[in-house]
Amino acid sequence: MASFSFGRERGHPIICFRNVRKAFGPKVVLDGVDMELRSGETSVIIGPSGAGKSVCLKLLVGLLEPDQGEVWVDGVQVNSANENDLYALRKRIGMLFQDGALFDSMSVADNIAFPLRRHTRLGEDAIRAKVCAVLDQVGLPGVEQQMPAELSGGMRKRVSLARAIITEPQIILFDEPNSGLDPVRSDEIDALIQRMKVELGITFVIISHDIVGTFRVADHIAMLHGGTLIAQGSPSDLLRSPKAEVRRFLSRNLGLPSLPERP
Amino acid sequence: MSAGLMSVSVRKIGAYALFCCDCAVSTLQHGVRWNRVMEEGHKLGVKAFPVLAVMAVFVGTNLAIQGFTAFRQLGAGSLLGMFVALAGVREVCPILAATMIAAKGGTEMTAQLAVMNTKEQIDALEVMAVDPRAELVAPSVFAIMLVLPALTIIAVAFSIGAAYLVAVHQLHVGSGDFLYHCLGNFRIYDLWVGLLKACVFGIVIASVSGYFGFHSERGPAGVGRSTNQAVVAMCVVCVSLNFLLSAIAYG
Repeated sequence: MASFSFGRERGHPIICFRNVRKAFGPKVVLDGVDMELRSGETSVIIGPSGAGKSVCLKLLVGLLEPDQGEVWVDGVQVNSANENDLYALRKRIGMLFQDGALFDSMSVADNIAFPLRRHTRLGEDAIRAKVCAVLDQVGLPGVEQQMPAELSGGMRKRVSLARAIITEPQIILFDEPNSGLDPVRSDEIDALIQRMKVELGITFVIISHDIVGTFRVADHIAMLHGGTLIAQGSPSDLLRSPKAEVRRFLSRNLGLPSLPERP
Repeated sequence: MSAGLMSVSVRKIGAYALFCCDCAVSTLQHGVRWNRVMEEGHKLGVKAFPVLAVMAVFVGTNLAIQGFTAFRQLGAGSLLGMFVALAGVREVCPILAATMIAAKGGTEMTAQLAVMNTKEQIDALEVMAVDPRAELVAPSVFAIMLVLPALTIIAVAFSIGAAYLVAVHQLHVGSGDFLYHCLGNFRIYDLWVGLLKACVFGIVIASVSGYFGFHSERGPAGVGRSTNQAVVAMCVVCVSLNFLLSAIAYG
């Protein structure tokens, strides 16, 4: 079995997809995807709806298993790891879900403190202090006692980000951080991601439709189309891509001239 | 039953059996959070008690009326106490308490888990390295297993009490006759069988609720459908198991 050298220093590969194939019944969602994302960088996976972006994210954390190929994260082959290794890896990963995935029956403070209460022996005072600190960090001080139902979509995403960063993970995954938000809130989330990127200096993997936001925050962009990776590189590499699918996808928001499709 | 329907049913039963094994393994690996068991048990017991008490009272009254009508034709109206004790303790009260918990606690659990599934909260638990089966299903299984036998005993007390009042004050059966035949035929073995049934029903209710909650389709229609399927499955399985356990204990 092949293995890959991983490192935590910035720029080393931390996430690798090797010839990954995933199908749901007859529908092939990913077909032979090879992708490498680097430590300390913000990588954005873009692509039209149904291209397999969210499936990539679920494969990364072991919520789905590939039909074929290998998924490596921080030195662990996710698709063949035992439960202990997988849980140890997940403790090094934070994830922001599309709608926040906050627990409805718990207050904001309890939601954020949840992973700390499960995985650490910190006392309640220390947990409360950490909760206040991360809420400050995401720009939401003073909402500890509110319930998730009382929060707006943008606030729920911020609280979810606070829950993701409270365990000080090495990788944070974002599933469509701008979906369902108006342009102003969307800009706020982009600004927050940019700030976190500088403050935390860790690996961010973002799934996004939002091209403007992607070019604001990305160090590396990978584009999926029809289940395959059709382009990857720096934002400027993507802008220079001659591929019709890439240019058509980017043209709508960035004003690129769209090239005619190849026959 | 058509071959297609049979194959779907077998697949579902297999998936349910696998889910139960997963839950058991997760619970053994991650332990039981007893504070959650107590919270769930308290919530279930407090919610179910008033409705169960009312239902047990009226089941007791009707057992008395029907039993008296049948035994009077044989000239043995005084045996009513025996009928109430046997039917109530052995059959009616365990299934009555189970139905109540299935209708109140079971459906609520399925709907909550299905909503959590829809909102990716179960995935969020997994990503936070918390086993959702040990976190969400195991406490309910233990809570229902603890609460259901207690509710069964309460249902027995209320139904026999109500039957006594109807027998003595409405049907004019002698108080001594009723109590003599009731207590004389009330065996501890019957109570143990009733409590065993309650434990088995508790496991079925919690695991079936958990299975349908975890495997619901996403969206409001999926939540409704899984809740509906769960309550039907719980009732059918409990009634079938009731027959099986009675056949083993008394057949």
